[in-house]
Amino acid sequence: MSQANRRGLDPLSVIGNDTPRVDAIERVTGQAKFTRDWKLPGMLFARVLRSPHPHARIVSVDTSAAAALPGVVSIITHEDAQVVWGAGSINGGRQYNDPTKDATLHRRYIFNNPVRFVGDSVAAVAATDRHIAEQALALIEVEYEQLPFVLEPEEALADGAPQIWPEGNLAPDFRGNLEPMVSDQGDVEAGFDEADQIFETRYETGFIHNAQMEPRCSLASWEGDKLTLYTPSQGISNCRHDTARDLGLMDHQVRIVAQYMGGGFGNKNQNQDADLIAATLSRRAGAPVMLEYSRREDWLGVHGRWPTVQYYKVGVRDDGEITAIQMRAYSGMGPYRKNSGGISGMDYYRCPNRLREIHPVYTNRTTSGNFRAPSEPHGVYGVENMMDDIAYRMGIDPVEFTLQNVRRPTDDRPYTNYSLDEVIEEGAQQFNWSARRRSTPGSDEGPIKRGAGFSFMMFRAGLGTSSAIVRVDANEQYTLYVGVTDIGPGAKTTMGMIAAEALGVPLSQVDVVWGDTDRCPYSVGESGSRTTIMTGYAVVQAAEDLKEQIASRGMPSGAGVLIGSATPVPSTDGKVRQCFGAHFVEVEVDTRIGTTRILKYTTVHESGRIINPTTARDQIRGAVIQGIGQALHENLLYDPRSGQPLTPGYYRARHLTHMDIPEIEVTFIEVDDGYGPFGAKTAGESGIILAPAAVANAIANATGRRMTSLPITRDKILGAMA
Amino acid sequence: MRDKSKPGPSETDSSVNYLDPKAQSRRDFLEGTGAAVVATAAASSLGVGVASAQESSRSARSAISLTVNGVDHSLEVDDRWTLVEVLRDQLDLTGTKIGCNRSECGACTVLMNGQPVYSCSQLAVWADGADVRTVEGLALNGQLSPLQQAFVDNNGPQCGFCTPGQLMTATALLQDNPSPTAAEVQSALVGNLCRCSNYNAIVEAVVAAGDQGGAA
Repeated sequence: MSQANRRGLDPLSVIGNDTPRVDAIERVTGQAKFTRDWKLPGMLFARVLRSPHPHARIVSVDTSAAAALPGVVSIITHEDAQVVWGAGSINGGRQYNDPTKDATLHRRYIFNNPVRFVGDSVAAVAATDRHIAEQALALIEVEYEQLPFVLEPEEALADGAPQIWPEGNLAPDFRGNLEPMVSDQGDVEAGFDEADQIFETRYETGFIHNAQMEPRCSLASWEGDKLTLYTPSQGISNCRHDTARDLGLMDHQVRIVAQYMGGGFGNKNQNQDADLIAATLSRRAGAPVMLEYSRREDWLGVHGRWPTVQYYKVGVRDDGEITAIQMRAYSGMGPYRKNSGGISGMDYYRCPNRLREIHPVYTNRTTSGNFRAPSEPHGVYGVENMMDDIAYRMGIDPVEFTLQNVRRPTDDRPYTNYSLDEVIEEGAQQFNWSARRRSTPGSDEGPIKRGAGFSFMMFRAGLGTSSAIVRVDANEQYTLYVGVTDIGPGAKTTMGMIAAEALGVPLSQVDVVWGDTDRCPYSVGESGSRTTIMTGYAVVQAAEDLKEQIASRGMPSGAGVLIGSATPVPSTDGKVRQCFGAHFVEVEVDTRIGTTRILKYTTVHESGRIINPTTARDQIRGAVIQGIGQALHENLLYDPRSGQPLTPGYYRARHLTHMDIPEIEVTFIEVDDGYGPFGAKTAGESGIILAPAAVANAIANATGRRMTSLPITRDKILGAMA
Repeated sequence: MRDKSKPGPSETDSSVNYLDPKAQSRRDFLEGTGAAVVATAAASSLGVGVASAQESSRSARSAISLTVNGVDHSLEVDDRWTLVEVLRDQLDLTGTKIGCNRSECGACTVLMNGQPVYSCSQLAVWADGADVRTVEGLALNGQLSPLQQAFVDNNGPQCGFCTPGQLMTATALLQDNPSPTAAEVQSALVGNLCRCSNYNAIVEAVVAAGDQGGAA
């Protein structure tokens, strides 16, 4: 087995050893059951009809011909199925709070009128066969009154722009306030006065669809007033709660089953409209309903990373000290504010004078939402290209410029531990930074130019509440109950390893029960890189509870069992807890045809103690490759005249294939800061945060041209070189 | 258009050549299933179905025979059913996944007469008389193939949704080229996307399987 490069800590008994997934055989034999693999007796198939217009009022919907088609069982539209999808429009990041639904100014229903983007849901059909359901869609007659539309966030805020909601196109926050998100520290104008040089640049980034391999689907089945949903969810506990809230049920009346799922990267958080549509159809039809989205529907009807425009203004003294950072930015949210629209990165710098103003803006593009580190990669690209550009303009090595200006622990802001200097210095040495970078960007002779880029990140690794139950029987077999799903990182295996370590038994003595809200306690969900540290910590505490019981009562005998459980509320004692990373990349740009090739990619991460080095390594490698795709290829382009999306799908978005992939070198510097499960920190999202920034910086170093727009496609390079 | 009366896609897919990395591009692979690509691309717009507006929901049906993982099957299929629908819905072989249903991702890859094909883009009637192998047919008597074992040992799957397709294409590669280099693996698997982007580990697994004796 190939192994991750690690230094700093020795493995424990179970933790820290390269461990094959406990469910690996299911995954390589086709036995792993994904949502669409379930079959229930009498199951119907459902399809959704979607708007072909970017903005239109529905004048009428005639379903009579579709309803008459033999095999069609139920049809629902905005007229007869007004279900609020609470998580579909949260107006600002508080999706798990019940009052949200009342506070939401701009309600999103499962079917909306007017429709506000190409792909907005109009109707759904359940039929005995998926082809009949598709035929029925073609028989539904919808009369639309087309409305003016707007695609670009800055244009949407201009006077006279088409209004997507009555209050205008600035998306309100979760309290309904119509104001941009402002973060103001120190005195930015005083900082500019103090500066010797001031730099201003506009950066922009594209819409990146999550593009997980498994398209959205949901299988709903009712027994009386109890709903069971088989659905690919990144958080079964939250999905249950959201679904119950939206359908007017109690939590215990909803069961969510999600074990194997084909990725998500943030677009399978909470519940989805597919869950509510399947549940509504199933109730009307009196039969289980499997709703399947096509790949194009998934691309347009779910969500992806919000596109942004970022205006930076930075003041620097001649000694290299940053005195002020200002950013005014716009995030394109589509017509519903499904998530925050955040843009992070400025906070990595120590500079005391900072002003950040982000406008989350409604547009008639598809909805934006969470994608792996939702606020980070586009913001870190912007700010770290800004800083890299400043460093080269001032004749300073960007690594030195970073080390001079980066945020470090202070007396009033202590960290559990701080490793940024170490990961940067280790990466620079492994990569041979000083030899690979061009101190004069673009200085290679000839049309094929090489250069090197660097980026860094710090990302939250805070603690939080989750639950776990562990049981032992008379055969000394342990069963761990955790409400995790396995979206890909290997949570089932990781939870089993943590339990085995805490219990002092081999992994083979621990069975893991997972992915079913009727069998497992609350778990925080596979989002925010939280499962390992939060649910993992609950597993440790549940194991401690069980060990105390065994110590006082002895091991059970006969039919007896002992059960330990925990719902800890851990804290970091007021300290900042973060993971750290640095990336170094060498590229080769053919300036005649605009192509970029990755020659070398070195990563160094500090994510605390690594539970399973194999799967942790592949979280970093996979995240980096997604970040390279964001840097070079992926975007959802629209035709400005028709408002039609032009590049939905893997082929048109130019997703990376096997042929495009460099070897990603991964080193973990391991630290146990005394918090979290055995000192583990966050890993899953961290690798993508800094990858686009590093690639873009390397292209600038190779070509001598700062690329201010992601993705850096061939046309942009050719344009910059012209 | 493909002549429906001819069973199997062998006349186009016999051009697959894994020994020469330049011989097979992703686009070639897609064009090998050209007729079906056109049909599904036109039909998949916003989920609107294949059929034009008509009052009957019936489809013409045909009787076909095919061998799947060594077992002979004779069944009647709708002419509009794809091979992957028959495998998953009629034969309960749900290991083969549908990722895009339009020849973009490769999750549905199966071996048809020994060659990898996108089963989402093969009509079931075209498989009449064919010998089909799916991920369920890789392990023999409960024993993983060396390739499957290498995927277990090298973390080949992350979410696992693309894994069956990766395994089937790699199985075909190893039959032609028992000890491929990493570059040969990348070339052969170019039509199998992995959004977890676990590409490094997948290539390492296939190379390791080659070192241990191939697909067998």
